[in-house]
Amino acid sequence: MAVNVEQWQQQIVKCIRCGTCRSVCPVFQISDNENSTARGKVKLIESVAEGKLELTRELQKRMSKCLLCKACVAGCPSGVKTDVLFLSARRALAEKNGIPLIKRLAFAGLTYRKLFSLGLRMGALFQNFVFKDSPDGKGKRPRIPLPAAGLNERRLIPPLAKKPLRSRVPRVNKVVSPRARVVFFPGCMLNYVYPDAGVAIVDILKANDVEVIFPDDLYCCGIAAAASGDFRVAQFLAERNVNTLTGESFDAIITGCASCGETLKHEYGLIIDDPSVKQRWQKMSEKVFDIAHYLTTIGYSSQFGEMNAKITYHDPCHLVRGMGVSKEPRAMFKAIPGVHLVEMKDANKCCGCGGTFSLSYYEISRQINDEKLDNAERTGAEILLTGCSGCRMHISDGLSQRNSKMRVMHTAEFIAQAYKAKQGKEGKKR
Amino acid sequence: MNRNIIAQLKQIVGNEYVMDTLEDRICYSFDATFRDSKPDVVVKPGNVDEIVKVMRLANQFSIPVTPMGAATGLSGGAVPLRGGICLGLTRLNKIISIDVANKVAIVEPGVITEDFSNAVARTGVLFYPPDPASAKTSTLGGNIAECAGGPRGVKYGITRDYVLGLEVVLPDGRVVELGNQVDGDMSGPDWTMLFVGSEGTLGVVTKIIVRLADKPDAKQTLLAVFNSLDDAAMAVGRIITSGTIPTTLEIMDNLTIRAVDDYLKAGLPIEAEAILLIEVDGAKITVEKQSRQVIQICKQCGAPEVQIAVTNEDIDRLWSARRAISPACGQINPTKISEDATVPRSKVPEMVRRVKEIAQKHNLKMVIFGHAGDGNLHPNILTNKHDHAEMERVELAVQDLFRAALELGGTLSGEHGIGYMKAPFLKWEVGEVGFAAGQKVKQALDPKNIVNPGKMFMYDSP
Repeated sequence: MAVNVEQWQQQIVKCIRCGTCRSVCPVFQISDNENSTARGKVKLIESVAEGKLELTRELQKRMSKCLLCKACVAGCPSGVKTDVLFLSARRALAEKNGIPLIKRLAFAGLTYRKLFSLGLRMGALFQNFVFKDSPDGKGKRPRIPLPAAGLNERRLIPPLAKKPLRSRVPRVNKVVSPRARVVFFPGCMLNYVYPDAGVAIVDILKANDVEVIFPDDLYCCGIAAAASGDFRVAQFLAERNVNTLTGESFDAIITGCASCGETLKHEYGLIIDDPSVKQRWQKMSEKVFDIAHYLTTIGYSSQFGEMNAKITYHDPCHLVRGMGVSKEPRAMFKAIPGVHLVEMKDANKCCGCGGTFSLSYYEISRQINDEKLDNAERTGAEILLTGCSGCRMHISDGLSQRNSKMRVMHTAEFIAQAYKAKQGKEGKKR
Repeated sequence: MNRNIIAQLKQIVGNEYVMDTLEDRICYSFDATFRDSKPDVVVKPGNVDEIVKVMRLANQFSIPVTPMGAATGLSGGAVPLRGGICLGLTRLNKIISIDVANKVAIVEPGVITEDFSNAVARTGVLFYPPDPASAKTSTLGGNIAECAGGPRGVKYGITRDYVLGLEVVLPDGRVVELGNQVDGDMSGPDWTMLFVGSEGTLGVVTKIIVRLADKPDAKQTLLAVFNSLDDAAMAVGRIITSGTIPTTLEIMDNLTIRAVDDYLKAGLPIEAEAILLIEVDGAKITVEKQSRQVIQICKQCGAPEVQIAVTNEDIDRLWSARRAISPACGQINPTKISEDATVPRSKVPEMVRRVKEIAQKHNLKMVIFGHAGDGNLHPNILTNKHDHAEMERVELAVQDLFRAALELGGTLSGEHGIGYMKAPFLKWEVGEVGFAAGQKVKQALDPKNIVNPGKMFMYDSP
């Protein structure tokens, strides 16, 4: 496809260069450099469109210095869809210059689902050769810095699960009198890193009389590849997932990871070129729901037990500005007896992870995250809840580095516990 | 640019703060206007000493230097027209002191306007009145360079009314301190004022002393709806002469109201020919009295409806329409050319009429809104910068706007400054003699014409 100048121009022409993006961009707030603002990047892309700048590697570096957090999209007074523009520019740049070898290998691995799965299972066995347990036992740190993989020595990486979600949840999860039938799309992180959250999602759906299908042949959603500009891989993955998902009969597709959800719901529209695949995707996209949103839509059971916890909630970018979900999880937490939800300052500001951004720009990523953690800790909450595994990983890393007592949990895990608290109590009564 | 000079610049400010790749030069080639001009190098000094050294080097080799804050200006003041060095000043971002007893603050030029206003507000007793629309992003140095205003200007004046003193690095690298912290300094002419609004054409501001105002106890926000623009304009005149000076007196014409309502679906009175957004502030008892008076005047002038905001949400709702103008206009046409030609407030109705005629004459979409209370209207032309035929008509229309403002005894700029955009017309306002005198002042301070060349009195057509 190379450069889609017309598509670019539609967005470029709307930018009035007012600079409002300076006040919302988390990366700019750390870097104080116009080359990381949205308007700076729009100007760069305009220069390419006008033939005044080539698709250089220097440009690629600047285009990759963006979290894709959509804060500039939400904050833009002129409605420039910078996310659309930047993704398209990254694609053109990757097609021209390629992407770093380490990413290329990793993304290629994603296209071999069984091999990828095997690799990660083996990884779970052998991870201790490369990583050591952190002193607090919350995760792993590289034994040696692995700069090629973007792994800083002090960075805490969650361990791979010994048993992935796929081996813990059957394909069909029946309930006695189902009110709906849904397909669960777990994504890589819930499958291999945080399977407990995946189990919790299945549990709370079942607790609400929803039958859950968990197909075998789902691939990575493809956002990491697309965000790096590797559309060949992203399209391969998107196509496989669309095929698998549309092959099932369902009332909804449920995601528990903000980024996977946003990718399935919206970003596939930018990723998929093939018109027939796109058409099938369009039909299914309306049925993609984040777990908290879905439960709210169908009217969830309020059979919650008492939790007695002071919590705070972090809005993942792909939920609040992507899928438009922010009220729903909060309302659910407030419905649980004994829960005290304390809002942190700038709850909807990016945590700094940005997927592969944190690999390429760990120091900026950490500084943005540290501010988030300051705000979170100031609430005095014991538990930080969120609905994205990327955020969870990055926030846990930061908390561990500062030896914080705060715990991070997935929205669904907390809700599952609340349901269990009630069942447990009633069980005792009986 | 000469490698040797780049090396010297790196020695002065550090490698990290010197950028000369094509990509980075492009990122520093523009402000909120639509013309670009790339600097040869972007230099971001961290303190006055570094600026002094950069200026000495530039002076020695006659390299153009264009100071830049957040580059949010609307007249092109920060665009490096002649290349050379773009001097980014955002690293000088410390609030040095806020002195409550003397109501004075000392700040560096890179401090963001809203960060400063918030810091002052935290004293609980003082506030910093200038409130340009770009306050979330703009820097105080930029506000001084362009003499920024804002909605509160009606009652509280504009940036120039708050500047007590400046530290400036002159084009040859010497440092001069102008004015001081004493409110009422009269030792000689007001040198400080010479630099306010000078757009960095006389030197680089490195420290700013500003006066602060007492925070009013209370405020009241009102929205008056008018069936005729003349009625609204009459109300503006009567309010101002009634003894009540509102904090804010904003006007929106029918096209603006329709655009905003289309965008917000806020149920605005789309049949109204104009609405006025009015705010009064002061001691609680005075605010109540003033508010009653304003409502009475609006009704006498034929306003069928005056809404009063009681809660904070109400105030937000009334202001949301004003704030939505920009995005709403963006939905109509992608390029918005915002002018700030200002007329004596009694001439607002006449100016509105002329703006409409100009729009019709050049067949352009134009909305009118702005600070009616101080005659600072913002006729905004909605166009598309890629439509070259239309852009030619835009240029002619802009000239007509300037002519109309000057004929009515007004000025080219109420708050955006001159930059490159209005420089060709500056002579119309200041006259041949004034223009020549301006050039003499510039030559005296900057004989080599290195700071922000090509703007203001040193305009030469590109």
